[in-house]
Amino acid sequence: MQEKTGNTNIRQTLGNQVSRRDFLKMLIAAGTIAAIPGSGLLRKGVGASALSSGGYEGKEAYQIFHNACPRNCYDTCGILSYVKDGVLKYVEGDPASTFTHGGLCVKGYSYPRSVYSPDRIKYPMKQEGRGSGNWKRISWDEALDTIANKILEIKEKDGSLLGLGMTKYSGNFGITHYGVEGTMSSLGYTTRFVGTPCWPAGIDAQNFDMGNMWCNDPEDMAQSKYVIVWGANPCTNSIHSMKYIYEAKKRGAKVVVIDPVFTQTAAKADEYWEIKPGADGALALGMARHLLDMKLEDKTWLEENAEGYSEFASYLRREITLEWASEQSGIPVENIKRVTEEFAAVKPATIWLGYGLQRHVNGGANVRAIDAFVAMTGNIGKVGGGARYGHLFTWGFNYNALVQSAPEGSKGYTGKTGPMGEFDTGQGGEAATYTDRAFNINKIAQEIMDAQDPPVRMLWVANKNVLSQDFDRNKIIEAFKKLDLIVVVDLFFNPTVEQADIVLPTTTLFEDWTVNVSYWHYWMSINEQAVAPLYETKSDIEIASALSAKLNSIKAGSCTFPENIDPKEMMVKEFNDGIYSLFGIKSWEDLKQGARKAKLASSASWSDNKFGTPSGKYEFKSSLAEEYGHTALVKYKEPRKPYATYRLLTPHLKYGLHSQFQNLDWMLDYNPEPLVYIHPKLAREKGIADGDMTRVYNKLGEVKVKASVSDIVPVDTLLMYEGWYGANNAFNVNILVDDESSDMGKFKTGAPGVAIHDQFAEIEKA
Amino acid sequence: MTRYAFYVNAELCIGCSSCGMACKNQYDLEPGIVWRKLYPLSEEIYPYKDRAFFSLACNHCDQPACLEGCPVSAYTQREDGIVVHNQDACIGCRNCLRNCPFGAPRYNAAEGHVEKCSMCWERIDEGLLPACVQACPTTALQLIDLDAFDGSETVQYPPGFPNRPDIAPSTCFKLPAVPVIVRRDV
Repeated sequence: MQEKTGNTNIRQTLGNQVSRRDFLKMLIAAGTIAAIPGSGLLRKGVGASALSSGGYEGKEAYQIFHNACPRNCYDTCGILSYVKDGVLKYVEGDPASTFTHGGLCVKGYSYPRSVYSPDRIKYPMKQEGRGSGNWKRISWDEALDTIANKILEIKEKDGSLLGLGMTKYSGNFGITHYGVEGTMSSLGYTTRFVGTPCWPAGIDAQNFDMGNMWCNDPEDMAQSKYVIVWGANPCTNSIHSMKYIYEAKKRGAKVVVIDPVFTQTAAKADEYWEIKPGADGALALGMARHLLDMKLEDKTWLEENAEGYSEFASYLRREITLEWASEQSGIPVENIKRVTEEFAAVKPATIWLGYGLQRHVNGGANVRAIDAFVAMTGNIGKVGGGARYGHLFTWGFNYNALVQSAPEGSKGYTGKTGPMGEFDTGQGGEAATYTDRAFNINKIAQEIMDAQDPPVRMLWVANKNVLSQDFDRNKIIEAFKKLDLIVVVDLFFNPTVEQADIVLPTTTLFEDWTVNVSYWHYWMSINEQAVAPLYETKSDIEIASALSAKLNSIKAGSCTFPENIDPKEMMVKEFNDGIYSLFGIKSWEDLKQGARKAKLASSASWSDNKFGTPSGKYEFKSSLAEEYGHTALVKYKEPRKPYATYRLLTPHLKYGLHSQFQNLDWMLDYNPEPLVYIHPKLAREKGIADGDMTRVYNKLGEVKVKASVSDIVPVDTLLMYEGWYGANNAFNVNILVDDESSDMGKFKTGAPGVAIHDQFAEIEKA
Repeated sequence: MTRYAFYVNAELCIGCSSCGMACKNQYDLEPGIVWRKLYPLSEEIYPYKDRAFFSLACNHCDQPACLEGCPVSAYTQREDGIVVHNQDACIGCRNCLRNCPFGAPRYNAAEGHVEKCSMCWERIDEGLLPACVQACPTTALQLIDLDAFDGSETVQYPPGFPNRPDIAPSTCFKLPAVPVIVRRDV
């Protein structure tokens, strides 16, 4: 295969790449990286001719393919895959992307192991007795036959397929994977678990304020003169963003991290504030009040571009004081004053709003308050400024695999449905004879328990590990008892597969074709099939196609999904002129040369100050917010009342993306077991020593987990990283996380989010 | 003359572990074997647990203890300082494991030989960076030429790292910084 090398050349790094990206030069100290290839001469020892370390074999040895990491991650890295004799030998980052700059992360570099892991699901299997482990290999034909007959039986019994439920989320964000939704549509009208657990409160908040969720290019953070990282932890969750923050620092910017936990990112800041969880809105409003008191607001920008500002200012004067904000948040008044003044004194200044801070019952209100603070300083629409949260600006694909029509004569739900998730570009809410039945993805247990006319009889799970990642796990296991058939499509025997009747083996990204973009940066990468599918694995759309053929062979006209598909052709069909023009390419084939970045008019979102709100302005007062049951004006909203003694936080782990990666033996070498982090003072009170087993429990259940005594957490807080399964350990954080909703999310994603960080627990030595 | 070494800048290191996994990925290391990993600094050195690290593999010493004690000459040291271990020549006696104070050589029980970081000499000879260095997202781990490197900001034997001038490890370090910290009064 004709291909340029994907490796970062030493000379390039020292030479012309440096002049193109001068910040790298500033990071690399003089004298680093000699440009002279090694001579191979020996100083000591003999036997040079037989040197062998089993690694790199020279670039001629490999075929190189372009892949794209499809996990639910800010960085969505372009990958170069080095293949020899049909085997994936190793991976590295696509150097065409300045964002990832030839690098992946600890998870990305483990990919070869996931492809060839002995633990992969290799064949369709059926389980006699859920959770029994009594698995038996079956043929694809038998698996599809069982599934197809169940679908036809449900249709016969109920007169519709609303008894067939489907839950899918972020296991693979490759665009063709929306073919899972397409599978359902091609069968008729089904029950969909809609919404998103991750970020919907913030999405709605930014839509109310600005008319869309649309962040600056993260690469322009290098130009920021003041950076507040608020509730985000890029050192763990967006490692390639850190170089821009470092570059801003090098140029003199101050970096402040606001987080309930002394995160790795906090450790890299100039100043860290340990905020009380959920008090983000109170703190931001206090900061806004101080802007007023000091007359530091950008009056010109506000007069020209804001709606409802004077009312918001009156609210601040009437109801918000710095002392109150300090009391709520735990941050001293003096610090609030100083950082507010510093932030307002320079331009551009930016706040990165993480997804953590909106996982609260007041999360959306908190995001609106922080947005308001940024807007008051006139930093919205500025290069290097902005209230950065995320974007879907580059996601305008055809969703060809998703859009399938129901078979003729299909009957469905007659109520009105809203959007089916944040990526939904469909016509939610419009009149139609029949629609799908939408259930809240974050309350899967309760929805299944409550469903009537018809009940949910069968569940299709793909790109999702429900039992690891959904909430109130014990309740889910109870709810699953109501289901006649559970089919799971997956790569590994995870806790959801453990509860399945039939498991279907799927392909890794290296065995499939698709295309990927990010919700953070503005790059697009193609995902080529680098190796042939192993074992009997099939991609999501190949499964849809095979199921369609089976159904129609039993009863003609039962499924509209194309019975013969070519995964590569399906990928090609996702492109359109809008995507081509946005990225400045003529054809998808241009992506074979490497990742491409969207041609942006400005690295700043809203640079023309034309907002997507009903007024076309930045709205401190939003009638749309009011329509969805929130205050029109940006206002303080009370946090959730504790239901146990200690705050329980369950953030993302650096060694996994939700429940993926951490199960690999390679990853266990670096992250062998789950831990609960407990402050030394609380540990002493409880008689818990570092390494002791503990029992962490609340109203929902309990887990046993080893303690790490550490003051990275506050005294009143317990921290356990989410996503663990495997290695003979039944630990899972969602045994202790209930399905309480966050305030916002219904408007743009169809359902509110989850107050994942408004959880509480007790701890004792086990 | 070129004298290659790793530069470990703990001030920039974000503890992401990409370096270690990039190495496993390049060499397809057996589960259980790591050539490079993060060593968290103890709380006596950095006051917060698991918040500052040294990313370490082989230190490619000037006077390699592994090489000196190898009975079958499986180790060689190149002119550019890279200490290379030849797995085919190795008889698995593990003298080097006992001699190396840094724990760099690892014993592969499945294959009955020792293995260790090769500084990706095959890549360097083609003008590429070692896999770990290329993986680092913040240039916290760098390949340097000791003969041209300005070491005025670096430390050769930081706290927590064995002080062994007799074997002269080549790795250079920069120590981590601590931010201003505002904590709640609870």
